[in-house]
Amino acid sequence: MNRKKDKGFESPRPYKLTHQVVCINNINFQRKSVIGYVELTIFPTVVNLNRIKLSSKQCRIYRVRVNDLEAPFIYNDPTLEVCHHESKQRNLNYFSSAYTAAVGAVDPDAGNGELCIKVPSELWKQGDEMKVLKVYIEFSLDQPKGGLHFVVPDIEGNMAERGAHVFSFGYQNSTRFWFPCVDSYSELCTWKLEFTVDASMVAVSCGDLVETVYTHDMRKKTFHYVLPIPTAAPNISLAVGPFEILVDPYMHEVTHFCLPQLLPLLKHTMSYLHEIFEFYEEILTCRYPYSCFKTVFVDEAYVQVSSYASMSIFSTNLLHSAMIIDQTPVTRRCLAQALSQQFFGCFISRMSWSDEWVLKGISGYIYGLYLKKTFGVNEYRHWIKEELDKIVEYELKTGGVLLHPAFCGGKEKDNPTPHLHFSIKHPHTLSWEYYKMFQCKAHLVMRLIENRISMEFMLQVFNKLLSLASTASSQKYQSHMWSQMLLSTSGFLKSISNVSGKDIGPLIKQWVDQSGVVKFFGSFAFNRKRNVLELEIRQDYTSSGTQKYVGPIKVTVQELDGSFNHTLQIEENSLKHDIPCHSKSRRNKKKKIPLMNGEEVDMDLSAMDADSPLLWIRIDPDMSILRKVEFEQADFMWQYQLRYERDVVAQEEAISALEKFPTPASRLALTDILEQEQCFYKVRMQACFCLAKIANSMMSTWTGPPAMKSLFTRMFCCKSCPNIVKTNNFINFQSYFLQKTMPVAMALLRDMQNLCPKEVLNFILDLIKYNDNRKNKFSDNYYRAELIDALTNSLTPAINISNEVRTVDNLNSDVRLILEEITRFLNMEKLLPSYRNTITVSCLRAIRMLQKNGHIPSDPSLFKSYAQYGHFVDVRVAALEAVVDYTRVDRSSEELQWLLDMVQNDPSHYVRHKILSMLGKNPPFTKASESSLCNEALVDQLWKLMNSGTSHDWRLRCDAVNFYYTLFGLTRPSCLPLPELGLVLNLKEKKAVLNPTIKPEAGGIGGVGALDLCANGGIHTPISGFPSSLEEEHLPMEPPPNGVAPAPHGLKRKAETPLGSPPEPVQFTAQEEEDIDMDTVHDSQAFIYHHLNMLERPSTPGKEPPLVEQTLLSMPATPLPAFIKEPSASKHGEHHHRHHHHDHKKKKKKHKHKHKHKHKHESKDKDKDKDRERERDRDRDAHAFTSSPASGRSLRSPSLSD
Amino acid sequence: FIGTSLPSHWNLQSGLRSGSGKTTTSPAENYYLARRRTLQVVVSSLLTECGFESAEKAAVESLTEMIQSYISEVGRSAKSYCEHTARSTPTLSDVVVTLIEMGFNVDTLPTYAKRSQRMVITAPPVTNSPVVPKALAAGQKRVHPPYIPSHLPDFPDPHTYIKTPTFREPVSDYQVLREKAASQRRDVERALTRFMAKTGETQSLFKDDITAFPLIAARPSSIPYLNALLPSELELQTLEETDSSEQDDQTDNENAPTGADKENSVLPPGGVVPAVKPSEETVIDNPYLRPVKKPKVRRKK
Repeated sequence: MNRKKDKGFESPRPYKLTHQVVCINNINFQRKSVIGYVELTIFPTVVNLNRIKLSSKQCRIYRVRVNDLEAPFIYNDPTLEVCHHESKQRNLNYFSSAYTAAVGAVDPDAGNGELCIKVPSELWKQGDEMKVLKVYIEFSLDQPKGGLHFVVPDIEGNMAERGAHVFSFGYQNSTRFWFPCVDSYSELCTWKLEFTVDASMVAVSCGDLVETVYTHDMRKKTFHYVLPIPTAAPNISLAVGPFEILVDPYMHEVTHFCLPQLLPLLKHTMSYLHEIFEFYEEILTCRYPYSCFKTVFVDEAYVQVSSYASMSIFSTNLLHSAMIIDQTPVTRRCLAQALSQQFFGCFISRMSWSDEWVLKGISGYIYGLYLKKTFGVNEYRHWIKEELDKIVEYELKTGGVLLHPAFCGGKEKDNPTPHLHFSIKHPHTLSWEYYKMFQCKAHLVMRLIENRISMEFMLQVFNKLLSLASTASSQKYQSHMWSQMLLSTSGFLKSISNVSGKDIGPLIKQWVDQSGVVKFFGSFAFNRKRNVLELEIRQDYTSSGTQKYVGPIKVTVQELDGSFNHTLQIEENSLKHDIPCHSKSRRNKKKKIPLMNGEEVDMDLSAMDADSPLLWIRIDPDMSILRKVEFEQADFMWQYQLRYERDVVAQEEAISALEKFPTPASRLALTDILEQEQCFYKVRMQACFCLAKIANSMMSTWTGPPAMKSLFTRMFCCKSCPNIVKTNNFINFQSYFLQKTMPVAMALLRDMQNLCPKEVLNFILDLIKYNDNRKNKFSDNYYRAELIDALTNSLTPAINISNEVRTVDNLNSDVRLILEEITRFLNMEKLLPSYRNTITVSCLRAIRMLQKNGHIPSDPSLFKSYAQYGHFVDVRVAALEAVVDYTRVDRSSEELQWLLDMVQNDPSHYVRHKILSMLGKNPPFTKASESSLCNEALVDQLWKLMNSGTSHDWRLRCDAVNFYYTLFGLTRPSCLPLPELGLVLNLKEKKAVLNPTIKPEAGGIGGVGALDLCANGGIHTPISGFPSSLEEEHLPMEPPPNGVAPAPHGLKRKAETPLGSPPEPVQFTAQEEEDIDMDTVHDSQAFIYHHLNMLERPSTPGKEPPLVEQTLLSMPATPLPAFIKEPSASKHGEHHHRHHHHDHKKKKKKHKHKHKHKHKHESKDKDKDKDRERERDRDRDAHAFTSSPASGRSLRSPSLSD
Repeated sequence: FIGTSLPSHWNLQSGLRSGSGKTTTSPAENYYLARRRTLQVVVSSLLTECGFESAEKAAVESLTEMIQSYISEVGRSAKSYCEHTARSTPTLSDVVVTLIEMGFNVDTLPTYAKRSQRMVITAPPVTNSPVVPKALAAGQKRVHPPYIPSHLPDFPDPHTYIKTPTFREPVSDYQVLREKAASQRRDVERALTRFMAKTGETQSLFKDDITAFPLIAARPSSIPYLNALLPSELELQTLEETDSSEQDDQTDNENAPTGADKENSVLPPGGVVPAVKPSEETVIDNPYLRPVKKPKVRRKK
């Protein structure tokens, strides 16, 4: 969208926000509530700005004033309940389109919002003079379920002593969950933030802390923050708690915060941060844009790392002491990630959702540079390979990740990703896994761009973007420079072409505008006569998730005379490529062989083919294509590649290829690599597992002791007594990691009976027995945990004699030993807990494995107790994983229910998310399989969960959608009773995203639609189609004032659309609907009461429906038709016409056919909302609220329009 | 033998003490008993001299005791005087001074000695003073090194200072040691966990025999991350033993130099001040360390 408009940013709003004040003057930890107000300073950009749409979710709004005048407002959030709750629709297609429409209807990027404020008419004139408007909103949050998370440990003492804290969180733009704002990354403004908290607490927020002032009673203090750099609302955050404060010893403007008692850990963890700062500032040749930086470590964090303007919120579980090895690199990576996002993501913000990839790409890319510098090139290349493998696997599995969806591109582009069960139009409809993969692909593509234009230019581009932004940031709003701080795809590409002079268009087209990866199959033959290598590279571009690649590809051939790079052109039809070889085959000359890196080595060439000079061949060795390569070469070539190629990626590829060649030569190559200390440790670790696999394949011919045993003995055991391991000394990390991995791999060995060899098991048990960490400087908790994992790996299914019950007596003697160890470890952990309870985690996994293999009775109760809230999160997740597994294996509906209850009720958002994603990965049944668990109640429950139960957490809702998709697929779940199937199904099946119920509606409500709906829906279904008419009938009665119905869009746009007819169909219905309510003055007590009532619903959807809702639900079906008949018969016919008409008119005038479907959804969805609103009103009527002027939507209510 | 430190010829008291209550008689006891008997005779003759015809045995014993004490005291004092004047053998004058000191009129002594009615008693049978049995013949008795004057006392018996270490051949076999350490630790751990399991709530993996592999019940904690993240005391102890140099980042913030900014990377690690202490003076200018301001008095319009 933005690539077309090179001119810069066009706001979708008829006003520009310049400054916002957020003042939270009371935070109650006991009640988990927050009270405050916001004040937005806005500049109208159109004459007669008469309504302002803001984003706000779950906030209870008490009053709105515009320039000190009370302003009426309406709060409508269609995402609270996506599909009408009485609808019997249960197919995911329907839900997805409705959900997309709902999110779109309140999407701040499109100028929409949940909260619509009517500017008092007294101020209308002001619009002409373009005067500043100040919008003042008082709000409160009561037990927020999203946006802010309260952690209040249940112990004695006051809140500070208990370590109670609260922090903001969310996925993408979610700030609207905790204060009303323009929740868009593209609406920048300056900020003043005030937080009044208990005197024992600290409030950490964005910007500079100007002062801290006690309140008059001296029991509280107010933190005043000012953020002079224009920042988007989604980048604002808050953390309040009794934090311990650590000023960074190297950078005094950097402050770290952690929960009480963790200060020593914080000191150690943060001792490294300044180096990351220095690195980024150096490569970007740009100072850190904010004047200060704060890191806060909180419990129950939503994600490990989240970045906001000038602060980052981390999970407290990233903290570690100096004794911990394994966590250190992980934590440093997290810090580096957070910091890279400070530059790109917080300081430079995105213009629209489709530009997200640029920011994620750049921050991921510079993070990669940091990895390269800190952890070395090997680690970096390993990481790139890992990421590439991940994205390739994901895309091949699910069918493509699209970085830059162009929504208004060509025809029928309504859904650029038809293979997905969700829409990628909005960040909030994405599945979490997709989003992770999206980020992964984004930084890989950045790397491709770097390959194309060189790193120097790349960094220059970044520097240019940053300096433009920082110039803009210091300007006043009036300079209209702020949009320079927004980054768009087109702006980025332009910058690249300006700086480098290179055209990267094809690259962008291939990887950014298009989804999919490339799948190569390579094979070769050596033509001895011509001394030519005949390489054949085929592509698979027909299966899902793939695309065709045309262009250059690099092939590296290692010959006897050296290593040679060749660049081949992949073209439409050419599969074969002839590559001339440089060396003749020669066998007996003892000469060193030069490698790619200039090194010359001696090789034993006896294994190779006498006729060929080829040692090995690599396709696309630099990973400059997002691809998967399946290459065929002889086993000895893989072995040479493993031994002598110095690139870790090549070594890893060779290792995975060697799995298919279980020969003594492979064994030798792997063993050599294992022993070679210069070799990258992750390669050696991978070699362990490969060796285990090869050993199992070679079982009958294997000679000598079990694989790796003698090696381990030589490396880690005492010289004098080889059966006893040395006392631990982990000072050499490489050998530490190897020492940890080898037993785990060894335990995978199997003998002829497919059991783990007794020798190996005893060896592992001895390792556990003789483990001695007393002289070690480092903790051995990860090592011990891996030894337990090794025990787990050694387990094989029990020989089950006639389904007998597993008892202690018939326990296998080996298993008894294992169980003994596990019991002891698990019990010791209670007395001396290990870091992050790694040992408990491993023990739980081991116990589940014992159960699964039938050694001990399968029973979820132990795991359920460990899954309780109050255990360390890693332990909980491990326990939940076991319960999930149990649910699948034992098909237990009770456990499934238990899990789903936890999804709904657990205090920790991360755990809820984790349960659903684990259920998605290891589902109790799938759409393909029959299961007794699949029943109507479950369908209803899950439907309710994603429809309304998860409205407070985008991520969780998408998880629920995913899970639903895994269980039931896109169509109506098969377990639902048939009657309703008939008509609904045939309507929707064709178009994946189309909402079936739209058709009848579009074609005229009265006729086909009604018929259709009546036929299949019984009593409930008509509602979904019908009330739209009921609602929209207001139109003729209350047309927008003076016909100057303000389309909330820029003047330019307005000019090209007919007066009163909104430019975007999306706005269409929303506008009308709100017009109606606008025209009531909300000043009476009744109004407030009404609104409180209304707001109460949103904050507790589904779970604890207020009285109103309950009556609604229990309303008998019969009155409904009667009710319907009355209005529809009389006035509504006309209205439908209009609606219908309108549709046509629009089509004619604008010729925007591509919007057709979209419009239908949106309006459809709107209808639903209105439908719901209507019911609410109706309900209110029934409860004698008729007198409330607020029930403005109701026809009968007195409407005090101006 | 306590008596060894006393001059042997005045050794009555200790000899008596050691002999009393014993029926068996060693040569040394005989010697002392003989002396005592002589004293008794002396006491009896003195009594006779004074006109007593008979005396109770207990009275005689008491008097004997008294005279013995008296003589002992004279001897002890005389020895003290003599040593006081840096001699080793008492002379007559020492005894005279002693007697004077004890309030005895020495001038009356010659007259008393020459009194007419005095009874002559036979000298006690000559018995050799008992050989003090060599306590422990351990090693060679050392002679004085040349720089020690010979008049100084001899070295005490060797057994009082010579040490004879006794030990068994240590188990130096590494394997056995490791084996022992391992099984010891395992036993302790098992016993401890069993105890905990016995005394507290447990969970079981088997339904038929809940005592088979008792697991200490999982108990949720209010602040689970503390236990999971903070190193246990045992680990901390280990760390201190292995490396104490890492603990130096506990430096106080007072030492931080002033005006130091980011470029100055040689700073000592900075400090921490709870923000709630407004009085705390810090050199680092960080807004979170600044004192909290007092509220302004609201002006009334």
